[in-house]
Amino acid sequence: MKITHLALTLGLAFLSTEARAEKLVIKGSDTLGAKLVPQLAEQFKAQHPGTTFDIAAEGSTTGIAAIIDGTAQIGMSSRRAKPAEVGAASAKNVHMKPTIVAYDGIAVIVNSANPIKSLTKKQVEQIFTGDVADWSAVGGSGGKISVYTRNTSSGTYSDFKELAMKKRDYAGGSQKMAGNEQIASEVGKNANGVGYVGLAYTKASGIKVISIDGVLPSVSTVHAKTYPYARPTFYYTNGEPAGLAKQFVDFTVSGAGQRIVAQVGFVPIQ
Amino acid sequence: MLRKTFVLVTMAASLMAGAMTMRAQDAGALLDLLVKKHIITDQEAEEVRGELTRDAAATSAGKLKLSSPITEVELYGDARLRYEVRTAQAGAPDTITRPGENTQRDRARYRLRLGLRGTLADDWFFGLRLETSSNSRSTNVTFGDESSGGPFSKGSDGINVGQAYLGYKGFRDFTLTAGRMPNPLITTSMIWDADINPEGISEQWKHTFNLSYGGGQTSAAAETSKDGKNVAPLLSEPHKITIDVFANFAQFIYDDSNPEDPVGPRAVSGGRLVPNTDAYMLAWQIGARINFTKDMYLQVAPTLYNYTGNGDTFNVHFSGDPNFLNNAVPPVSVARNQTGINSLLVFDVPAEFDWKFGEVPMRIFSDFATNFEADDRAAAAGHPDKGDQRYAYQVGLGIGRIKQKHDWQLEVFYQHVEQFAVDPNLVDSDLYDSRVNMEGFAVKAGYALSDAVTFNLTYGYGEQIDGDLGTGGVGDAFTLNPLKKYQIFQADLNVKF
Repeated sequence: MKITHLALTLGLAFLSTEARAEKLVIKGSDTLGAKLVPQLAEQFKAQHPGTTFDIAAEGSTTGIAAIIDGTAQIGMSSRRAKPAEVGAASAKNVHMKPTIVAYDGIAVIVNSANPIKSLTKKQVEQIFTGDVADWSAVGGSGGKISVYTRNTSSGTYSDFKELAMKKRDYAGGSQKMAGNEQIASEVGKNANGVGYVGLAYTKASGIKVISIDGVLPSVSTVHAKTYPYARPTFYYTNGEPAGLAKQFVDFTVSGAGQRIVAQVGFVPIQ
Repeated sequence: MLRKTFVLVTMAASLMAGAMTMRAQDAGALLDLLVKKHIITDQEAEEVRGELTRDAAATSAGKLKLSSPITEVELYGDARLRYEVRTAQAGAPDTITRPGENTQRDRARYRLRLGLRGTLADDWFFGLRLETSSNSRSTNVTFGDESSGGPFSKGSDGINVGQAYLGYKGFRDFTLTAGRMPNPLITTSMIWDADINPEGISEQWKHTFNLSYGGGQTSAAAETSKDGKNVAPLLSEPHKITIDVFANFAQFIYDDSNPEDPVGPRAVSGGRLVPNTDAYMLAWQIGARINFTKDMYLQVAPTLYNYTGNGDTFNVHFSGDPNFLNNAVPPVSVARNQTGINSLLVFDVPAEFDWKFGEVPMRIFSDFATNFEADDRAAAAGHPDKGDQRYAYQVGLGIGRIKQKHDWQLEVFYQHVEQFAVDPNLVDSDLYDSRVNMEGFAVKAGYALSDAVTFNLTYGYGEQIDGDLGTGGVGDAFTLNPLKKYQIFQADLNVKF
């Protein structure tokens, strides 16, 4: 009888602990997942003790795939879900529900020693597609251009193709980096480097941001959509979010969450 | 929520009205405008976009995925059912078949052509077309013609690559094409069967010149424009014509020699070294189309054709004469060459004048060709006295034109093609059974039963021109040579898509 009572007590205690320590699995975009979402999670945990997070920032494609496969409650994405992904989700009775959580501007960056200060949209297209291979062709002081891009699972990779390259392929010799910070780091070390990063990653040392057709990415130009490479960023959920996921989505778009969005370097939705 | 529902319903209705051809992505501009006008929020726009994307993904078109370098693609083709009767009468100098003997061939046939063509990024384009029949001059398959495999055998129902080409239009006014391509030359059935898709490369250039020649007079009396300035009013519209000047060049691989560099010494066949160079057909065409009005134009396209190299199939000298019986016991029928491309330097001038008589489109068309090396070709054929058989011409009239349901057209022409005038391997395979040394007329009539379905009737009659010569060329339906008289009747039901 004592043993039964002990087992029952231990079992209830275990269940009680499990109920309090809820875990939220978030996968997807490096742009969102490297800085913003971890800081949001820290703040959220402070308000919801016992909550744990499993955050994997391996690219938007992985986030959308995780929602389709049911391996995450929230998929972070810096791009919209593609029709093929929406179709694949529908086939599994998954309803891809987007929630805009912040705006971003994809900043074109060069090494701070590069004399170039501005480029036209056409020149950006020429540089990243390889039509132009030397800085002298776009008003620079000469030198073979080294193009740094994100890898193919990145939402920024495909967004930039669509926004800046008329959907053309990247230059054959372009180097694919795992994240924004790696691109900023490489461009900062290479005097002939050029790449792109989200707005939150433009403060890295050794780089400078180029204006496009005379417009620099900023809170105001992204909000006004006058910066040509402005874009929304998303959380994807399977239908309307529920439970802990809903609480975290609500927190992200709340005033407190959006203050963190601004602190990290993104553009708030309000 | 109400606004979002309204937008969603409206856009869904647009999709339905557009027969689902409007893709969800196309709604982006409209959603962006609604956001800009503060009618909906970004979030609402995003949810609508998601709904539309999901709806579009569920359609047939939404399930089709194209690789990103493709900027435009078109699926097209046609299918045809045909009933055909051909008759031929044997004539001199045939020593095997008694002159006056008649033969007839009735065939029920079909053809299917299915193509995909499109444009790629950076001014490239491509095309691929699959066709029934492996014959270069025909895409027809004859029902029930298999001799094995049982009834309804599929032995002759093949799928072949009729066209496979890649091109580039990145240079202004130029089109460069390589592969197995639609004929890039302006031509007629007298020179080229329309089913032939030549292989090689072509370079096309076209530039349009706009000319004004009078008219457009203004009055001396000034009028006042809206902004208060004095302007001279127009009394008449200026007279304008446009001239499309074009040049088409082609280097077609006529016959591949295999091998070019044999192991050991080159073999000898028939006392001649086996050829080891490819045969090329070269074409230079320079012409113009003068557009007098939008319904009236004159087009002339002078062209020069010649051949280089030997190849290993068409290098024997052309004869064109019938088989003969040799002196063996018993005598054996010996074939003479019908396909040789020796001594062909053909100058060809296709021309066409189109206009409208009332509302009826009309056209007069013609073609004239002469072989500058006909003397040598005739001599090599054993007829040194027949070098004058070097001319070919065609003249015809077309009335009406089929573009849509209930349209009709009628075409009649006369054609005369002498034995040593043109390449017998390329001439039309229907009228005159792929032969030269034939003349006659043809009448074609067509009516559109629907926008996609047309019914056509064709009748042709031809006769041997020079009674001392065969009717050269590999026959399509008949092996008889010469064809003293020849008739063809075809009834076609065509479906185009």
